Amino acid sequence: MPEQAVEALKTYDWGSEQKLVQPIEEAIVAAQGDLEKTKELETQLAAILGSDAPYGAKQYVCRRLCAIGTAASVPALAALLSDEKLSHMARYALEAMPAAEAGQALRDALPNVADSLKVGVITSLGVRGEDAAAQALAAYLNNTNGELAVAAARALGAIGSPAAKAALEDAKPTDATAIPVADAKLACAENLVAAGDKAAAMAVYKSLLTSPVQHVKLAATRGMLVCAQK
Amino acid sequence: MRSSYDPSRREFLKKAGTTAAAVAAAPYVITSTALGDDATAPASDRIVMAGIGIGNMGGGDQNAFLNNGEVQYVAVCDVKEGNRNAAKHKVDNKYGNSDCLATGDFREILAREDIDAVHIGTPDHWHAILVIEACRHGKDVYCQKPESRTLAEGPKMVAAARRYARVVSGGSQRVRQDYNGVVHPAWKGELGELKSINVNVGPLPRECNLPEETVPPGFDWDMWLGPAPWQPFHPWRCSGSFSINGQSWRSYIDYSGGGMTDWGAHHFGGATFIIDVREYQPVEVAFHNDNGQKWLTYTYENGKQITHNRPGHGNMQVESDKSVTVEPKQEPDYKGNGIYGDFIHCVKTREKPFRDIEFAINTVAVSHLGIVAYALERSLKWNPAKAEFIGDEQANRFLDRAKREPWQI
Repeated sequence: MPEQAVEALKTYDWGSEQKLVQPIEEAIVAAQGDLEKTKELETQLAAILGSDAPYGAKQYVCRRLCAIGTAASVPALAALLSDEKLSHMARYALEAMPAAEAGQALRDALPNVADSLKVGVITSLGVRGEDAAAQALAAYLNNTNGELAVAAARALGAIGSPAAKAALEDAKPTDATAIPVADAKLACAENLVAAGDKAAAMAVYKSLLTSPVQHVKLAATRGMLVCAQK
Repeated sequence: MRSSYDPSRREFLKKAGTTAAAVAAAPYVITSTALGDDATAPASDRIVMAGIGIGNMGGGDQNAFLNNGEVQYVAVCDVKEGNRNAAKHKVDNKYGNSDCLATGDFREILAREDIDAVHIGTPDHWHAILVIEACRHGKDVYCQKPESRTLAEGPKMVAAARRYARVVSGGSQRVRQDYNGVVHPAWKGELGELKSINVNVGPLPRECNLPEETVPPGFDWDMWLGPAPWQPFHPWRCSGSFSINGQSWRSYIDYSGGGMTDWGAHHFGGATFIIDVREYQPVEVAFHNDNGQKWLTYTYENGKQITHNRPGHGNMQVESDKSVTVEPKQEPDYKGNGIYGDFIHCVKTREKPFRDIEFAINTVAVSHLGIVAYALERSLKWNPAKAEFIGDEQANRFLDRAKREPWQI
């Protein structure tokens, strides 16, 4: 990474001249396909996260690690998940990272971060779509903190797998979670139809016919009609 | 207004009954407004609407819907107190009362069972969450362009619309009005077999690093940011100015796709309409660098192409084989008066609007694919059905951006 840009990054913050760190982005683009060079860039960037560089610099680093981060950066990013200011940007990198370690780090963080940040971790687990998260998310479906319960329902809907569907069956919807839980179930049912399992989808749709929400009932009815088609 | 989720008629009658009982001692007067007239539907038949994001474009949308005789406008939402007060004032003036709800939280509007439809005019980074949540709450939606901010959001927006059979219209009025000099001849077959069309639009979005300034009173900065990364307030970061020169949110990647999406939603919309590929997305984006002049070629499965910023080519410049005879086709059109009337018509009939959300997302995908190609400076292959780049882990990291808590789709 260009030395001057590295030095500029260490004190980079709101209002700093962006052109000073522009060479970093250019180096990332130029290093495409060169695993060694990309790894070197990643290492230099991740080191900033554990330093006393300003918030703006760490946010910048997380954006770059979103593009090139690997399992090697996961520890540095995971350490930020409980940081009120940087948790989101840590997820910015982890959510997009293909490495399985990123998903594991998010699952590991779930019981340990504050409720206000847990919603974000739950969301990122949903977006990653990993079945391995379904059980962990299910534990929050009936949480007395309505925000967590809603987040868990939405995340399970985003995963949409049979495991997510099974988890949703244990949901006890409240006023706050009725729509998110129903929507998640509908998403799972659609995935079952797409996978050819109309019988399982039909069961989900039938369970929603008792929903107090009219448009949910209608969605379920339409789903049943789709299932009934040959 | 009867819709598949139809509380509005019952709510209106309930309220009318309560009002009548409360003034039982006085003569019961039915206003001409309630009865309707040649230009205005009776109150019980009107579509009950609200607006979320009433700035520059949202304000224009509000004017259009408020002045539509088939709409009863009941609520406004904006994170800037000045915007929402002005928007409420407009509504109250129209109806001669103070009934319009003004709120800084869209959830208050979506929770109202009497509201049939909403129009969304927030910055782009809020569009997906609002469209999807509105559908989940049984509302029809008119959403300003560009309808999505990332490639991953689009399919989720379409899925929500279809799941609840909602009418969801995107908001480019220019597709049907700005390019008719090419649109009409193309659909009449007068241009022969269309091969490609060029779009000149930009600039690309950039990251924002403006310094911190004091948040003005009455502005909920945290809510304005919503799912975008936290950054300090600066007036240029959140200005709704139409310029894309660093002095508006449209310039910045956290909130928008720069000119590629802001004007791309119009121009690519026109291009996809002209070569009739609105139902599809490209399968390949070829990146060209001609001595520093970078441009793109998008190719569709049927072989048709769109170029972006192709050297020596004007905006909407078509390449075609005029020796091939092409039969004229029926040119799709609005089903009502303009894009707003089209939406209102479709809310009543449950037809798909001219800029149905699927067409809108297909159009904006062209912009988003281009942004990724330019960022990586190389060609890409795209699988529209799976909404992912084919065998390209690096490009697939650009599909979406993590949303700031507590916001999620």
